[in-house]
Amino acid sequence: MSGHGADVKNSIWMRAVLFAGGFLTFGIIAFSILGIALAGPAHEEYLSAVDEYHHAEDDYHEAIVTGHSIEGDHDDPLYIAKEDAHHHEVEAHLSYLNWKVSGNTILVMSIIFASFIGIGGLINSLQPDAEHSDDEHEHHGSASPIIFTFGIMLFMIGFPGFANTVTEILTGTNAVLGEMAIGMIGLLVIILGVANWWREDLPFNGHGEQIATSEPFEGEHIRKAGIWVFIMSEIMIFATFFSSYLRMRTGWCTEWAWQNDMCADGATGRDIMTASDYLRPGGAAGTGDFWTMLPGGINTFALIISSYTIVIALKTAKAHDWSRPDNFMTKFIPQPIMKFVFPDQKRTVRNFLFATLLLGSLFIVLKLVEWSHLVAEGFTVSTSQAGSIFYIATGAHGLHVFIGLLIMLYLVFKADTVGYDEENAQGIEYFGLYWHFVDLAWVIIFPAFYLY
Amino acid sequence: MGDHEVIGLEKWLKDNTGMDIYFWNFLVLMFFTLFEIGAVFFDKIPGTDVEISLMMVWGILIVVGIIKGYGIGAYFMHLKGDPSIYFRTAMFPVLFVLLMIFGIGLSNPDGVDGLPSWCTPNWDYATRR
Repeated sequence: MSGHGADVKNSIWMRAVLFAGGFLTFGIIAFSILGIALAGPAHEEYLSAVDEYHHAEDDYHEAIVTGHSIEGDHDDPLYIAKEDAHHHEVEAHLSYLNWKVSGNTILVMSIIFASFIGIGGLINSLQPDAEHSDDEHEHHGSASPIIFTFGIMLFMIGFPGFANTVTEILTGTNAVLGEMAIGMIGLLVIILGVANWWREDLPFNGHGEQIATSEPFEGEHIRKAGIWVFIMSEIMIFATFFSSYLRMRTGWCTEWAWQNDMCADGATGRDIMTASDYLRPGGAAGTGDFWTMLPGGINTFALIISSYTIVIALKTAKAHDWSRPDNFMTKFIPQPIMKFVFPDQKRTVRNFLFATLLLGSLFIVLKLVEWSHLVAEGFTVSTSQAGSIFYIATGAHGLHVFIGLLIMLYLVFKADTVGYDEENAQGIEYFGLYWHFVDLAWVIIFPAFYLY
Repeated sequence: MGDHEVIGLEKWLKDNTGMDIYFWNFLVLMFFTLFEIGAVFFDKIPGTDVEISLMMVWGILIVVGIIKGYGIGAYFMHLKGDPSIYFRTAMFPVLFVLLMIFGIGLSNPDGVDGLPSWCTPNWDYATRR
């Protein structure tokens, strides 16, 4: 961060706590509707579908034993009834998962959002007001990234114990809470680092942005150069996933390869199923249709739209003399909606950042719903190499989206309180670069893992 | 996404439609996403008897990926318009990516002699070894 400007009182930080309350309330309402009110009846229907299937299965096997049916006769009415019951059971299970997973995901995300913004805001609100605006001179750096990185290191060291204990809690087995200790300390240090980072950045009004003084970035903002170098390293990480996938994919005899005579000599048929075999129409699993493609498709559109909303937020923040848009597109939108979306410059920036946050959250919810379907159909991380690379690559991407959402929380908070203008909009610009990169990574992951 | 002079296509679009390059880029990205999903979803080109082969789908996915990558990188990430050092920075890992794709991605156990010839021009090392 650089020089400070805006005077940030404790009352402003207390608004972060209000934000946290808002997220928590939304999460509880969404969970009550999706995870209880809608998932409950869906679960009942699923259980009765399981019963029906077992009855139909028993009837069929009994008929085979008594000689009324012949095994393998697919025209047998009892066999058809068994298959129909099985189909209904699968449909009921997936329908239940839709509501349950989306409700649970929204609740967990809301709790994490509320914890981040709430604890961060609370820590900063507890400091004396004088602490927030005592630094009028140019800043010479920040310890926050180091604190944050230290927290991540602790969390990663404690992660196996943390993951084990969380799994034990979720599965109802005897959990030893002490195993979570290092991971929890790591999380606390991460939140402290982030809170300190926010405290330094919130008053930043754009004055004193540090400029690189030597080649090759001479004259450029150091933070912008930094984010590009960071993106450079991210490209390499995703290249590693992609090349691993490509290496395995060119060696597998998938349905796709088999149909195109691309399997190795001596291959007798498909030997592996990929995620796309379950998701795309015509895939080898036979489960792919419009509905299985839908979450991935919506997610792709959600990321592209979110890339555009953050561009609009930046453009609005940087506008010298902003006025409500008036072009051929806005003529189709009723005035009350225009006034709601574009109330004034400051709140328009906030609205579009918030829209980006919602779209990114939608991405995570649909991703987990889609994963739950794949797991229910037997495609798990341990099924095969195809499962491992699919969940690792799409999971790493999802993690990037989620981390982006945590950063976006702060951007929304700053846009709502101090506000962004043409002087201090760099924060949106640099975060936007990261967000566009996440979109770019999805442009490769989506066709490679879902469509191919 | 920094400030820059609006020239060429960007200026033409802004002057003639009132909408900036970001809006049109957004529409192009949406259209091509729909196009690639459609290519996988349909067995035949809608309204015709022309079958969409898997190889055709492959080609479409790669071409659409390049177009979308360009749209996001050039306009949303503003590599087109920002000082060239950012473009050079972004290009640096491309070398690494190519090495990864050719060195690892296309080097499966069957890759040395099983890949198509355009992938391994004049490559007879494996058989000689």
